[in-house]
Amino acid sequence: MELLLIFVAAVLTNNFVLHYFLGICPFLGVSSRMETAVGMGLAVIFVMTLTATVTWLIYHHILVRFGLPFLEYVTFILVIASLVQIVEMFLRRFSPELYRALGIYLPLITTNCSILGLALFMVLREYDFIEGLVFGIGAGIGFTLVLTIMAGIREELAFADLPRAFRGAPITLITAGILALAFMGFSGLIRV
Amino acid sequence: MSVSARMMLVLTVVGVFSGLSLVYMDKYAEPYIALHKKEAVREAIDKVLPGVDKVEEVHRDETVIYRALDSSGKLLGYAFLAEGPGYQGKIQLMVGVAPDLRRLTGMEVLESVETPGLGAKITESSFEEQFRGLEAVPAVGYVKAGRKPAPNEITAITGATISSASVVRIVNEGLNEVRRVVRAGPPDCETEATIKWKGGKK
Amino acid sequence: MSRRPWYQEYLKGLWEENPIFRMLLGMCPTLAVTTSALNGLSMGLATTFVLTSTSLVVSIIRKLVPGQVRIATFTVIIATFVTVADLFLKAKFPAISKALGPYVPLIVVNCFILGRQEVFASKNPTGRSILDALGVGSGFIFALTLLGSIRELLGSGEVFGHEVIPGWHPWVVMILPAGAFLTLGFLVAAMNAIERTK
Repeated sequence: MELLLIFVAAVLTNNFVLHYFLGICPFLGVSSRMETAVGMGLAVIFVMTLTATVTWLIYHHILVRFGLPFLEYVTFILVIASLVQIVEMFLRRFSPELYRALGIYLPLITTNCSILGLALFMVLREYDFIEGLVFGIGAGIGFTLVLTIMAGIREELAFADLPRAFRGAPITLITAGILALAFMGFSGLIRV
Repeated sequence: MSVSARMMLVLTVVGVFSGLSLVYMDKYAEPYIALHKKEAVREAIDKVLPGVDKVEEVHRDETVIYRALDSSGKLLGYAFLAEGPGYQGKIQLMVGVAPDLRRLTGMEVLESVETPGLGAKITESSFEEQFRGLEAVPAVGYVKAGRKPAPNEITAITGATISSASVVRIVNEGLNEVRRVVRAGPPDCETEATIKWKGGKK
Repeated sequence: MSRRPWYQEYLKGLWEENPIFRMLLGMCPTLAVTTSALNGLSMGLATTFVLTSTSLVVSIIRKLVPGQVRIATFTVIIATFVTVADLFLKAKFPAISKALGPYVPLIVVNCFILGRQEVFASKNPTGRSILDALGVGSGFIFALTLLGSIRELLGSGEVFGHEVIPGWHPWVVMILPAGAFLTLGFLVAAMNAIERTK
């Protein structure tokens, strides 16, 4: 039950993009076409799940054990960067199809603040291993959900006759605002 | 020097410098952070149990409760931290209760992320004040705005019944825990370090 | 290497290369912490501290760092300064630290900090790098404080906690996440309009 709550909260009510503003850069950058949005989304789900697992183990079994939690930020960012590199190399070697689908998005993920945010929130909320894993998957799915919704809207928006000043980023931000309002309808659905 | 040797050397040197400076910074910041944490707890106890002079921490199992004494050493009541889910996220409270555990002396919301303008009103004093002197037997309850509350009931905030009910539920759960600890008898309660209050009365 | 007058390195960050309004970088903290003017200002100052210190160190060691480990080195330096800033805020300004929450550590992944190291500090002498960092930092502070002031004003009728419009009926939406997106959307549109009339 607890796990279901964490999952639904990460996907809908406390969505990373619309509630915590994590991962806004890729959200603005790759949401103009559906195809790229799906690719990016899948890559993020993959890396988030992995990050949740690895950072949890490192934080609890290395940093806490040796009394070094103040090295948290330095460690996490290095772990995430190396993880993305390893995944990239691994995919290129063993699964060229998957690499073709996700490859170009992987390097972009390192600077996606939602990944570091995931690791930080996991520590802050004192999740255990399984909870962290579910949180990671949920956050990834939530990110993908919002990214694809946005891409769907923006594909239509491309045909709209907008005032020049609003074209591009401004209208995307305003659309995101309306989406955030819509997602507020989910709050109260479950209690975190 | 080969390129890879230089790469490793640079990364190692940067890593060592980073580690050392952070050790130093952590040593500097740690006592302050611990102090702020204690002060925040002490300040909250002051609000829920007015007139408190000395606070003792009582640890039992996982629970920590605070025994509040006045300047003559008489027991004023107990304070405890309680937390649970609200409408949007976690709510954390400090609750004060009289020595007989039948009446609340106050409640203070320490952390909450309820909807601004609606649920966030649980942090306003008009809501918190309702808990002062509230009867807590058999349990705390609430009524919707506009109805007349019983002596053990508070009036929920209009448009934020869930947030108000969450606070009530968290208070009751914490209260039950405290009753269990206190009833189990004081002798084997282990009294830990007394919290010093350097600021005096604020 | 640029031979612009030195003050130009500072000034360009305020408008031409303003990280938020012109470059649209570093959006996460921009949207998340600007519920009030004070939060925006604190976040701006913390970020500027990290940016300037990192630029200082990077511009000093720029000739020693091999290209292959450039990014990793910069990232470690940034994360170190972020931890310093975070611990300092926790120790000296607990209230601000609590208000900014996990967004202080998230300065690590603020794209324009790494960006400035890549395009400027790793290629320019120390003095110019510091000016550049201060300029971009000031642009960021300006953007965050402006955004925070607007949201606080419309959300509660106050700016920096002082009542500005008496009897204002608060627009709750401005304090909510949605308000952040809407305000920034309109602000960027306004900046685009101003830029085009020039």
